[in-house]
Formats: sequence, C-alpha cells, structure tokens
Amino acid sequence: MTSLAEIPVLAHPFGVDWYGGPPLDTPPPIPDHGLMLAVRDGDLDCMGTLFERHHGPLFGYLSKLTGNRSAAEDIAQTVFQRMLKYRHTYRSEGSFTAWMYRLARHCANDYFRHSSAAPIAVDPSRLEQQVDGASSADETAAAREDHALLHVALGRLDRDDREVLLLARLQELSYAEVADILECSVGAARVRAHRALRALRDLYFKLQKEPIT
Amino acid sequence: MNCTSCLERMTELACGKLDEKTAASLRGHMDSCPECRREFATLTRTVESLDALPSRAPSERLRAQLMGDIETEKLTLRSQADWATSIRSAARPRAGRRFPWTLLLLQGLGACALAAVGFIAGERTATERQVADLRARVDTMGQLVEQSVLEKRTTGERLETVLTAGASTKPDERVIDGLINSMAFDSSVNVRLNALGALYAHANQDVVRAAVIACLPRETSPLMQVSMIDFLVAARAHEASPELRSLLVDSKANGDVRESARRAMDLL
Repeated sequence: MTSLAEIPVLAHPFGVDWYGGPPLDTPPPIPDHGLMLAVRDGDLDCMGTLFERHHGPLFGYLSKLTGNRSAAEDIAQTVFQRMLKYRHTYRSEGSFTAWMYRLARHCANDYFRHSSAAPIAVDPSRLEQQVDGASSADETAAAREDHALLHVALGRLDRDDREVLLLARLQELSYAEVADILECSVGAARVRAHRALRALRDLYFKLQKEPIT
Repeated sequence: MNCTSCLERMTELACGKLDEKTAASLRGHMDSCPECRREFATLTRTVESLDALPSRAPSERLRAQLMGDIETEKLTLRSQADWATSIRSAARPRAGRRFPWTLLLLQGLGACALAAVGFIAGERTATERQVADLRARVDTMGQLVEQSVLEKRTTGERLETVLTAGASTKPDERVIDGLINSMAFDSSVNVRLNALGALYAHANQDVVRAAVIACLPRETSPLMQVSMIDFLVAARAHEASPELRSLLVDSKANGDVRESARRAMDLL
C-alpha cells in the first residue's frame, strides 16, 4: 500500500507551473509611471522594481557622461536616493524616464561643479575588456582601439554637447522629453544634438588619422 | 526636401527618432544627393560606434545601498506613523490611575443609558445619520493630516492642512495625532509652530502634553523650544519638570531656551 509520504506532491497543483510552460495568466508588467505613482503613495517596494529596470541604462549614461565608473555609481546612487526623497514631487501627468534623467542631470551637474573633473580617461588600458562581435585577435584589438578613440573624442567634447548627444541616443526618450530635461525648446534640442554629433564625428575621425600613442 | 532641411533632421534619422514619413522624405533626398548621403554615412557610423561602446554593469554596491535606503525610508515612515499612537497609549494608563473611580461611574451611566434606549428609539435613525456624517468629515480631516505628514507635500499645503485641522471644533484622535505628528516631524519650523498653536485647544489632554514633553529635548529650533515651554506652562504640565531641569543644566542649549526653562520651573 502506498503511504502518503510516497505520493508526489505537486508544488502548484492548480497553479501555472505544473505543465512546464510559461505562466498562463502572467499579468502585464506595471508601467514605470504606475510604479512611481505607487512609490509616491507610500509603496516603497516598487522603487526596487524601478531600480532593476533602469539602473543599467542610467549607469551607462552617467559612465559615458563622466568617464568615471566610480563617479557614475555615486551619481546613480544619489539619483535613486533623490527619487525616494522627492517622490512627492512626481506628477501624475509626467514621464518617469524624463523625470529620472532630469534628476540625473542635476546630480551630474553637482558632481561636475564640486569635482571640476575633466572627464574621460585617455588611457586605453582603463577601457572595458569585452568587445562584442569581434572574433579574431586582430578584430578585437581594432575594436578596442576604436572604443579608445571614441572615449577620447567624447572626453574632448563640450560637456553640454556630450550630455545632449547621450540623451538623444536613449531610445526611451523622445526629443520633446530631451528638450524637457535640458529645459530648452524641442527645436533647440534638435539643433544641439545635431551640432554635438557632428562635433563628435569630427573629433573621432580626426583621432582615427592620428591614433593614440 | 532640400539639403538644408535634410541636414537639420539628419541626426534624428541617425538616432532613429524620426517618423516614417519624414524619414522616407530624407532618404528620398539622399538618394539623389551624394553630399548629404556622405554626411549621413559618417554620422551614422559615429552613432553606431557610440552605441557599440561596451558598458559593464555597475557593482553590487549600488543595489545594496539602494535597498538599504528603501528600508531606512520605510522604517522612518513607520516610526512617524506609530509615534503618536505610542504616545497616546503611553498616556492612557496614567489617566486611568489618576481617576480610579471612572470605571464605576461609566458602568452606572451605561445602565442609565440602556434604560433610556426605549425613549430615544424613534430618534435613532436621524441621529445615526448625523453621527455617520460627522464621522465621515472627521475621517477626511484625519486622512488629510496623515497624508500631509507622510507624503511630505509642499510647505504651503502642509501649513494649510495644519491650520484647517486647528480650526476644527471637534477633532477626533486622528486629527490630534496628525497635529502631533506635524509638530514633531515636519521639516518646516513654521508648520511645527502652527501645529503647536493648534494643540493649545487640546492642552487638557494627557496625550498632547506628553507629546510636547517628548518632543522638547529633540527639537532643534530654539524658537520652537521656547514656544513648547510656554505651552507647557500654560497647560500647567507639572510632569515636564525633569525635561525642563535637563534643559536648564544643558550647557549646549540656547540661552533663551535655558532662560525660558528656568522661568517655567519657577512658575510650575
């Protein structure tokens, strides 16, 4: 006779995992805006979800803006701290991403004002080791050199130009939102982004002709 | 589309931020304009290189710090919300000790009330409606005060809430708790002062006096401390003597505060 202990117990007899497929009724993820409204209304755990969604791109943006990994981490931390502290200022009609990058801009400005740092290290040895899509050693070396040149070019760009260019490259931000973050008109944001991209291109191509020694 | 218009929107096209119609128009122009095509190719290559810049994830320190911040904030919110309640529960037993005959009196009154039920039955429906209406109004007031503290709205909004709550003629526990919270925790001295002013009308309640006494040592504004001491004197709060004595001998306390504490000690 089979004892009760020998009967396999399904973890979720009426649940969604027993057939091994994806959950049948997975609710759609809550949009950022809804999560931030919940944070504003006191559900602070939602801030953890927002962090998981956005800390990567935010850190990448700040890392390129400052050229300093450690500073980018510090600024990103301050951004999330301010999101918590000033959550009551989040407006129902706002865009979460634009609000977050507006805070990030202010935090980065504070960093530049206090550190008077000249961003972007010229030393290519400090650059990232991974190079996507480069299969051979030669291609890897070429890609590294390319990245090094672009880092240098970014570092030589005016900070305002670097800022508008990096914001314009964020897929989730429209030009209207970029303009809102930069506190200028949409037309001005377009012109500034275009001018910045041309300036970066000129620096980058010039450096390619005169490689780093 | 001419070269000038094409150049103006070229970066948007390279960044993928143009609508299909405008993008098609730009591409159409570039098909017939080698100069714009060349310009676009170099810009696109720069954008692609920019996107290809590798970016490692931040360290775990960032996550750990944020989770710590969230927990700290949650604790702060919880402690603020619980604070007035704890003060209230701490004040209640003392009231019970002071009036040991209250229970007997209440029992007698309860018996009389039961006997009177038959007489007032006809009026019950109207009275219940009135009570429910009053309670709803008071609940709304309590929520307003609580939210104003917890959500940290603008100073003007918080001040307005405190003033409105202070003007309430028959506030319930939640309104008074809200005022106590504002007096204890609000970041604006102006709001704290007005909350204290609103509490004058309830100075006969043990919980209010206990709250002011508890806040006195942790208050940072001398103006607020002097006002609290005045409040305690006006409320004849003899139980404040230990706190006043501590202020009196505290060499770090503001001179005006110490002088107020000395005067209060004399008066009490």
